[in-house]
Amino acid sequence: MLYCSDKCGFIFKELRTAIKLLQLGFIFVFLFHSSIYADDSIQTKPKSATTHDHDAIKKGERLFYNLINSGRDVQACVACHNVEKSEKFNWNPSAYEIALAGQGRSDADLKNILLSPVGKKISEAHKGYVLSDEQVGQINAYLQNFAKEGPPKSGKLMTKALIYVGLILLVLLAIADAIYTKFLRFKVINLLVVLVAGLLIIKTTAHEAIALGRSQNYEPDQPIKFSHAVHAKQNKIDCLYCHSSAEYSKTAGIPSANVCLNCHTLVREGTRTGRFEINKIHAAIENHKPIEWIKIHNLPDYTYFNHSQHVSAGKISCQTCHGPVEEMDRVKQISDLSMGWCINCHRTTEVQFMNNAFYDKYEQLHKDLKEGKIDRVTADKIGSTDCMKCHY
Amino acid sequence: METKYWRSINELQNGKPIDHEKEESQHKKAVFSLSNKELNTPSSRRNFLKFMGFSISAASLAAACERPVQKAIPFLIKPEEIIPGKSSFYASTYMDGSDYCSILVKVRDGRPIKIEGNELSPITKGGTSARVQASVLSLYDSARMQEPMKEGKQITWEQLDKEVVAKLQEIDKAGGTINLVTKTVYSPSTQAAIDQFKRTYPSLNHVTYEPISASAVIEANGRSFGSLTVPDYKFEEADLVVGFNADFLGTWIFPLNYAPRYIQRRKLTEGQKSMSHHIQFETTLTITGSKADKRVPIRAADEKLVLAATYAKLAAKFGSSVSNVPASPVEVDFLVEELYNNQKKSIVVSGSNELECQLLVNAINQLLGNVGTTIDFSAPLHIRKNKDSDFAAFLDVLNSGKPQAVILYQVNPVYDYPDSNRFVELLKKANLSVGIFDHDNETVTSLQYIAPAHHFLESWNDAEPRTGSLSIAQPVIQNIFNTRHFQENLLKWSGNNQTYYDFIKATWLTGIYPKSDSLASFETFWTKAVQDGVVQLKASPVSISYDSGAVTEILPAIKPASKEMLELHFYESISIGNGAQANNPWLQELPDPISKVTWENYAAVSPKLAQEKGWKEGSVITINKKINLPVVIQPGQNYDTISIALGYGHTSMGKVANGTGVNAYQLQKLANSRVMYFAPVESYTATGEVVKLAQTQEHDYMEGRPIVRETTLKNYLKDPASGSKHQHEFDKQYRSLYDEPKYDGYHWGMSIDLNSCIGCGACIIGCQSENNIPVVGKKQVALRRVMHWIRIDRYYSENPENPRVFFQPMTCQHCDHAPCENVCPVSATNHSNEGLSQMAYNRCVGTKYCINNCPYKVRKFNWYRYTTNKAFDFNMNEDLGRLVLNPDVTVRERGVVEKCTFCVQRIQEKKLNAKLENKPLKDIDLLTACAQACPTRAIKFGNTLDKESIVSRLEKDPRNYHVLEELHTLPSIGYLTLVRNMKDDEMAPVGGDHHS
Repeated sequence: MLYCSDKCGFIFKELRTAIKLLQLGFIFVFLFHSSIYADDSIQTKPKSATTHDHDAIKKGERLFYNLINSGRDVQACVACHNVEKSEKFNWNPSAYEIALAGQGRSDADLKNILLSPVGKKISEAHKGYVLSDEQVGQINAYLQNFAKEGPPKSGKLMTKALIYVGLILLVLLAIADAIYTKFLRFKVINLLVVLVAGLLIIKTTAHEAIALGRSQNYEPDQPIKFSHAVHAKQNKIDCLYCHSSAEYSKTAGIPSANVCLNCHTLVREGTRTGRFEINKIHAAIENHKPIEWIKIHNLPDYTYFNHSQHVSAGKISCQTCHGPVEEMDRVKQISDLSMGWCINCHRTTEVQFMNNAFYDKYEQLHKDLKEGKIDRVTADKIGSTDCMKCHY
Repeated sequence: METKYWRSINELQNGKPIDHEKEESQHKKAVFSLSNKELNTPSSRRNFLKFMGFSISAASLAAACERPVQKAIPFLIKPEEIIPGKSSFYASTYMDGSDYCSILVKVRDGRPIKIEGNELSPITKGGTSARVQASVLSLYDSARMQEPMKEGKQITWEQLDKEVVAKLQEIDKAGGTINLVTKTVYSPSTQAAIDQFKRTYPSLNHVTYEPISASAVIEANGRSFGSLTVPDYKFEEADLVVGFNADFLGTWIFPLNYAPRYIQRRKLTEGQKSMSHHIQFETTLTITGSKADKRVPIRAADEKLVLAATYAKLAAKFGSSVSNVPASPVEVDFLVEELYNNQKKSIVVSGSNELECQLLVNAINQLLGNVGTTIDFSAPLHIRKNKDSDFAAFLDVLNSGKPQAVILYQVNPVYDYPDSNRFVELLKKANLSVGIFDHDNETVTSLQYIAPAHHFLESWNDAEPRTGSLSIAQPVIQNIFNTRHFQENLLKWSGNNQTYYDFIKATWLTGIYPKSDSLASFETFWTKAVQDGVVQLKASPVSISYDSGAVTEILPAIKPASKEMLELHFYESISIGNGAQANNPWLQELPDPISKVTWENYAAVSPKLAQEKGWKEGSVITINKKINLPVVIQPGQNYDTISIALGYGHTSMGKVANGTGVNAYQLQKLANSRVMYFAPVESYTATGEVVKLAQTQEHDYMEGRPIVRETTLKNYLKDPASGSKHQHEFDKQYRSLYDEPKYDGYHWGMSIDLNSCIGCGACIIGCQSENNIPVVGKKQVALRRVMHWIRIDRYYSENPENPRVFFQPMTCQHCDHAPCENVCPVSATNHSNEGLSQMAYNRCVGTKYCINNCPYKVRKFNWYRYTTNKAFDFNMNEDLGRLVLNPDVTVRERGVVEKCTFCVQRIQEKKLNAKLENKPLKDIDLLTACAQACPTRAIKFGNTLDKESIVSRLEKDPRNYHVLEELHTLPSIGYLTLVRNMKDDEMAPVGGDHHS
């Protein structure tokens, strides 16, 4: 008995430490979250002293927001070129992108681009703007400064995390009340609060723990506003035209810039993005700087996945795993890419058993098929649910 | 009489290998005395809870936030031949003067990650050695020369070229000598570049230097046959092979060529019913001696006496008399008899660097009529083709007082020349000294300029290792550091700005293409040559004449040497060789095939001598007041000799090589300017210290059950199953609770021929390179934690002074009734439907139950994180060193069990290729890394359900048996009984007798 209470005391002590650390860990993570987790927006530039007249910059900003009326009833620049990071997909280049692209640009150049642009899309959009040389200069000053200062930090509230912290505080409060303050008359209420909040905490924790390392619905902005809907659906380009290595290799492969140029040497302007996005391909080639796409579908290092096995040998369509990519302007991860999701498919998907000479060696299965014992051969019948099909 | 098998002297004498209790307590102490640095984190239950609390809260929050962004960066303009994520193989050539191998390099996304043998090569026939396999890691060595240097300071190539050319011209004009010291040059284009250099600087003196040479062989052949070459030894045609201290399967001249040819005559598969007889006289036990049918230990100094007596007795049989020959210290009548009976179909070789020995060998071979049949001078070798006297003459030139320039290319005489002090002194006098090295070494600090050279995997080159057999080396990666081809230096300094690639092509256009009978255009011929890696030209027969004068001259001078002193004998080890790749951690951790010692060299002494002197395993002795070495009691070592491996004890070669072992080159002596491989022990004292050797020998003790089976050729011919009788009885007795396993389609199996295995260890490094196996270091090896997935068990039997030796490659047997699988509490290891015992690392919680329950002891536990861990500062602790990792294989974390997977990534790759090509998978398409690396093709791999496959045919061979078949684990690996061609009945039949 003595031994037991000793042991229990020890466990309680440990639990206390654990709880303490749990809270500490929380605060720590909460405080530093912005520095721990990478942001997928374009890298911010370090701040530096502005060389432009402060006044001009301010005026430029007002012009950009159309607070100073620039003649006729026209849209504000910011209506198309968002200044803050937006969740919604925007075909037009953001203000920051424009600012970056136009670093060191002269006022005269900017005026040309603004008021007598080359592209069709941009000419239509910029129709009707009247800007004096001075105003153009102010806008330029604003943009130059913007390129230096970087986009404003988005004040995204971490609702989920706050609720989680709140729930924990609630539980602690309820316990504290039950023991010390005794504000609530009926202990049942305390108990109920602890139970409900506790269950919610457990549920959230479990849910988030399962989702840990998975990134379903991940939909980052890409360095080029490339639309699969435009390419794969409207223009009916086969997936494998660009992602050719999916047929032969482990990786599907992002097409190299020279593949883009197969069409885009001629197609220099898009209907929605104008020239801005397509020019990025040409710039990459000219500057010898490859385009750094954001990888969306990530598998852990201990999982071996081979595209050609599924695409060429298994004749699985791309959409089975990647969803209706041809509908997407910005690609989003549809499947959760969890092991259960893989295995389920392996259990139900039929193998190209009769169409591939590789499977001739499976004499027993062929016999069973012939005798009608089985009507089809699913992937798990030939071992596709074995550990060492994916983990080695 | 029952044959007793044992693995170490301790085991033979005490009946058990080591004092287990004591060992265990030491082991425990070692575990708990580990510092926090090695453990990386202090782990207690308290901390566990702390971290659990922290990580749960952190994790849930992390999940709510965004994950780190991963980028996918495609090519800007994709080269046509590269498919990202798919490996390409390029034919190339491994060459470093002393060694040669035609290879295929596996390149994945721009990085060479694995070396395989080139099956098209008529010389190496797809085989590799441990050093060839490991050389890919040497590419990613941070101790490589990275920038041009002057007096230790970095300079530009322009500055180096300008200054070197100015000095060269000055020295040349002043009537001085420009000395170029290289290893053997057997590249036609390199030779052409040197020739061009000589045209610009007529005073060029090209010196060939080899740390371990075949000088006496070449000189003797010059005297006897008028041909300064090493002939082609046709081991595949010899019925009798006699070796004198020539480890031709491991280290002597060209083992990669000799081993497959020797084994071809010793295999009993594919209908072959006879084998050659092999007699070996040697000082220390080598792998060649281990394969011999009869082995006689001798002192190295007595070799000439044995040869002289043999020659005299043989001559008498042929009717001529040779008088005044001293008696042989060992019995030679049986040898004379055998030789006489095998005229024209025997080979006698000697590894001695004494001219007398080699002249006698020539005389014996000539007498037997072997020259022209088994010994062919029409296609001689060009590797290790130097005379030791050249270097001595070069030192005299340096001392002549005239202006001197010294250019050293890939030689390290400060480390490996016995009289290195004199060399260093003379080098100081030189007006210009340039070192062209790809790796840091001891000579670097004695030189004015360093011109860093490409690694061979970054270079273009060609080679002609044997007359008529050419090969091409092509770069498989852009040079990592600011390096340059050696040959481009020579061209540039002679005013030729051609690239070496253009220069080779030009050489081939004028020199080699006309000699080939190719009907294609030169471009087609060249492309094919680069693609295949090898080109075979027709060799023209050479007529040689024998001059018996030489041997008559030297016979009277042969006198018995004094036997009062112990003899010191030097040899090349399998892993480190001459020491050029000593900074390669894979090679340092490769156990010596015989002693199983890793990470150092040692003094090998015979059990009898050790007993007399009171030395124990690990006793440190001081030899010649110069070096301290631990004693290893080596069964089979000649009684009054001490053998030491060369190539260890570097001082300036990088973090792995420095201070590992002792440099034995400094104990060598010169005789007639030839380097001698034996010397008298002038003094020896035991320091009283006893150290623990990092030996893998005592690992994985198999409780005295004989795992190897052997028989004699005589018995085998009477009954092919004579070595493995019990197999079928066990099968009949067997009852099991489990269902019989059934397989459909594919069941992978392996067959290992014990006759073919020479124990060279190429498979171990091949596996290490393929499967990202970490290096654990000396301390961990001593704690029995070496991570190799395949090991070669070496067993001894009978007389400890001259035992019979067995090699048995041992790896996961992929048992169909695997005892490891059903004890795993989390089902991290289970069986696949293709008969593989699978291991899911992410599922493993590290209980190690499977390790306990494996009767073969082939599972390994990751005691630490071996990557990015300062306590294991080997290749996996560096960004550069990690480039060698195979991206298809997981790098295992701390706390999980791992083992051989039958190279499942290779199986899966080949299966997929077959599916993509819409055809069944044939086993010839598929080799595991160990089978691929094997120079003698002892390991066969394939589908046992395919009746045509080689493994299913070998499974039916009467010699086939399974290790520990009485447990009925149903292993997927079958072994073929070892058959020795014993002439006398000295071996008791042992067919499967165990349970002593």
